[in-house]
Amino acid sequence: MKTHYSRSLIALSTTALALPGISQGDAPPLDSTFSYKFSNYKEDDLSRTEAPFGELERYDIDVHQFQLITPWGRNMALQVDGNYESLSGASPWFTSTGLDGEPVVNLSGASGIRDRRSELAIGARYYLENGSIGGNIGYSEEDDYRARYIGLSGERHFNNDLTTIGLGFSHSADDIFPTDASLFNRVASESKQSTSLVLSVSQIINQTTTVQTALSITEQSGYLSDPYKLFDVRPDDKTQFAWSSSFRHFFVEAEAAAHVNYRLYHDDFGVSSHTLDFAWHQNLPDDWRIIPNIRYYTQSAAKFFTNIDNPFTSSDQYQSSDYRLAAFGAISGGFSVVKNWGVWTGTLTAERYVAKEKYSGYTVALPSTALVSYTRLSVGFDYTF
Amino acid sequence: MKQLPRVLALFLAFAMISGCVEVRPWERGYLARDEMAWDSDPLESALNDHIFFSKEASSGGSSAAGGGCGCN
Amino acid sequence: MKIKNTTLMTLTLALGLAGSVYAAEEGDIAPDFTLPSIHAEAADITLSDLRGKVVYLDFWASWCAPCLKSLPLYNDMYHRYKDQGLEVVAVNVDNPIEDGTEWLIDTPLDFLIPADPDGVVPELYEVFGMPTSYLIDTDGTVKLVHMGFRDGDMEVIEAEVQELLAAQ
Repeated sequence: MKTHYSRSLIALSTTALALPGISQGDAPPLDSTFSYKFSNYKEDDLSRTEAPFGELERYDIDVHQFQLITPWGRNMALQVDGNYESLSGASPWFTSTGLDGEPVVNLSGASGIRDRRSELAIGARYYLENGSIGGNIGYSEEDDYRARYIGLSGERHFNNDLTTIGLGFSHSADDIFPTDASLFNRVASESKQSTSLVLSVSQIINQTTTVQTALSITEQSGYLSDPYKLFDVRPDDKTQFAWSSSFRHFFVEAEAAAHVNYRLYHDDFGVSSHTLDFAWHQNLPDDWRIIPNIRYYTQSAAKFFTNIDNPFTSSDQYQSSDYRLAAFGAISGGFSVVKNWGVWTGTLTAERYVAKEKYSGYTVALPSTALVSYTRLSVGFDYTF
Repeated sequence: MKQLPRVLALFLAFAMISGCVEVRPWERGYLARDEMAWDSDPLESALNDHIFFSKEASSGGSSAAGGGCGCN
Repeated sequence: MKIKNTTLMTLTLALGLAGSVYAAEEGDIAPDFTLPSIHAEAADITLSDLRGKVVYLDFWASWCAPCLKSLPLYNDMYHRYKDQGLEVVAVNVDNPIEDGTEWLIDTPLDFLIPADPDGVVPELYEVFGMPTSYLIDTDGTVKLVHMGFRDGDMEVIEAEVQELLAAQ
């Protein structure tokens, strides 16, 4: 039905209130800012070739995001984040062979799924002369899932503020209690934990260029399978590495900034991936900005990925037909328009994502028939007071 | 992971680029612009991390994203 | 906009430098300088001309958020104490200068605002963060160096200014 990824790494991202290396001695904000964003993304329907039986429609998701950042006293800032999501649709339940022996996918439930998720996180950051430290805690809840997480991070400037080194830690504990467990012979209640460490270095190269590189390691343990997939059995621990590098350059004549990000990933399920994305932030007269962007992603398959479930696998053999563990490539592109009116800023974003076997940079031994494509639209605003 | 020592060495080499040009505090006007931030739209980054987490097997490595999120 | 001839300015600085070699720390003589005003029609500003007054010297730019917060507060402080002998000199380091002049259109300030797009004077003072301000007494000695501008800083600065004005 749904796949839940640990909140741990997400916790890390909420602790970073300050952006490395650039602002005046890395000072706390002097004004408060409230931000809101509404998004809708809808996965493309499957075709009858991919799913000869049952449901074709996949997920349709609405997301509301809220954020408040406010100064507190002379040296601190507080941050509150809230999310509310509602989801409807269906998800791959199991794979089997179609009439010609080729792999096909079967979506869950004739009536589809409805789910709602709420999340709240609170964080604080303390600014010193040469750096800052911060922490946050968060809680997320939905019908069948509950997560609690904590994050801590610090950064220090060196070399006349040209270099910044950051260290982050996060931990989350999640509980899953699948709906209709007895009815579908699912596990009734399971848990998993995840711990992450991130080390980052940022460097100002010249007046218009900065670079950053970050290495993260994550350890997950507990119940890592998907209880809603009929024949899904995964190892009970997983180690992940990710190495990201980012580059920013400002073109003075064009009044535009180029953003390039690259990430290399590997885990011991056997998945490796490359992610490369590029965005161009173009300023226009009257406080308008347009941001076209493009992303390329490719991953290899997990060692135990199969595109046709074997219902007779013994419980000590790993297996999953989850498309997320298949080898594939994905290309996505989007466009944002931003306008500023004094204390108000509005943003409108559209994005299209397509995953296909043929986009893969890795050899695809077993293509998944359940690869996803989706379209997203978002609208948001910021208010400073 | 066999490639870890190599990745680690590359990471450290990359990280050792220092003081290429001395940029004085009063020369940081361009770097201070919103569009030069590592994360110029934290809610957008959090949303993207969230969506990509749920559609792909990779996660992590990113810095300064802001905004919590979960996955479906 | 009148741009001072580079040679003439360098000469002025060289003469000023004869009096102090180091960056400005508390207890040092504040390095002298002459800069054009950011306002085209106004006269050039020379620090040593203000000897005998208490001078609050600040370095700011339109891209520096705490700087922009502090300037209107400095304007209020200037009005409160100018009759007691306070002078405020806020050196703008925007490059291009137009970024500074554009911001000033919406925020009128009544004190002296020199323009230093090449950053010669902050280099002289070895400014290590934006903003940085120097409170200079009537003899030209730096009494207080203040970096950054955070909540509660205005009270501290004003107390020091009052103290210096009372002492003269």
